Amino acid sequence: MGANAQTSVPLYVAAEVLTAADMNISAGTGVPVFATTVTRDAAFGGAGEKVLAEGQLAYIEASDVVQYYNGTAWVTLPSGLNLIAKTSFTTTATWTLDNIFSATYDNYRIDIVWTQLTSTASYSGFQMRVGGVAATAGNYQYAMAETGSAGVTGRYSTTATYIPVVESTSADIAYTGATFTIFKPFTAQATSFAGQFVGVNSGVRGTACQGFHTLATSYDGIQIANGSTASGTVYVYGLAKA
Amino acid sequence: MKIELYDHATGEQITRDMTAEELAANNEMLAENKARLKAEADKAKAKQVLLDRLGITADEAALLLG
Repeated sequence: MGANAQTSVPLYVAAEVLTAADMNISAGTGVPVFATTVTRDAAFGGAGEKVLAEGQLAYIEASDVVQYYNGTAWVTLPSGLNLIAKTSFTTTATWTLDNIFSATYDNYRIDIVWTQLTSTASYSGFQMRVGGVAATAGNYQYAMAETGSAGVTGRYSTTATYIPVVESTSADIAYTGATFTIFKPFTAQATSFAGQFVGVNSGVRGTACQGFHTLATSYDGIQIANGSTASGTVYVYGLAKA
Repeated sequence: MKIELYDHATGEQITRDMTAEELAANNEMLAENKARLKAEADKAKAKQVLLDRLGITADEAALLLG
């Protein structure tokens, strides 16, 4: 049991003597607010100050975060959306990310921002991976609505070898991005996904795409195939289970 | 053609040439998308030719068919 651990929640009665020890239980276990991590560190362990111990909470104004002390270091409280990996890729046609899915999370959000695409092959798609190998057989199914200058068109496949992600031209790369959620990729069941993508190809081209990979396989990664040379950054987030 | 691989378990990121199998899959995707985009462009062009022949706009055509 750490120095901050309480063994009771006191209830005071009328005329009871309130001692310093009583006050230290109530005031000393609150969440103190500090301007920075420097003032936070300086506030513990000195004369008349509390000894820093496991379980201590602190709010930092400079970064607007709540932190806890785990006995050796300050740790920022996790949020519902936890960044697992942020990886940039430079002038390569296919990008792979392995060992990003695990039992820690059920569902994942993937964001992709392109900074360079090849205008003659300006489309990308993704595939699931496990053990460093991509699932390239025709087990992907999707329904996609594409909106562009020609109106709304639908695309549908039950035998696809990848999931289409985005179309764009290199001249308009600043507008190109994708965000999609993958549901339970690490569980040995069909993996479903839902995404929205924006690019520019003869005007704004937006897509909404849903579908799944039908094999009951546990996957640990994905790959993004750009067809031709591309650069960009992939963000992988785990969605908290609870 | 290059492939770039990131392994989150080790933090390693390497770039290498695609294998023959990876290159074939990549080229298949390229061909498929080029064909689809060409078909899309051909269809839009044919539609405009027809509208021009009829002397109406796309909105007017939509009204007729609606």
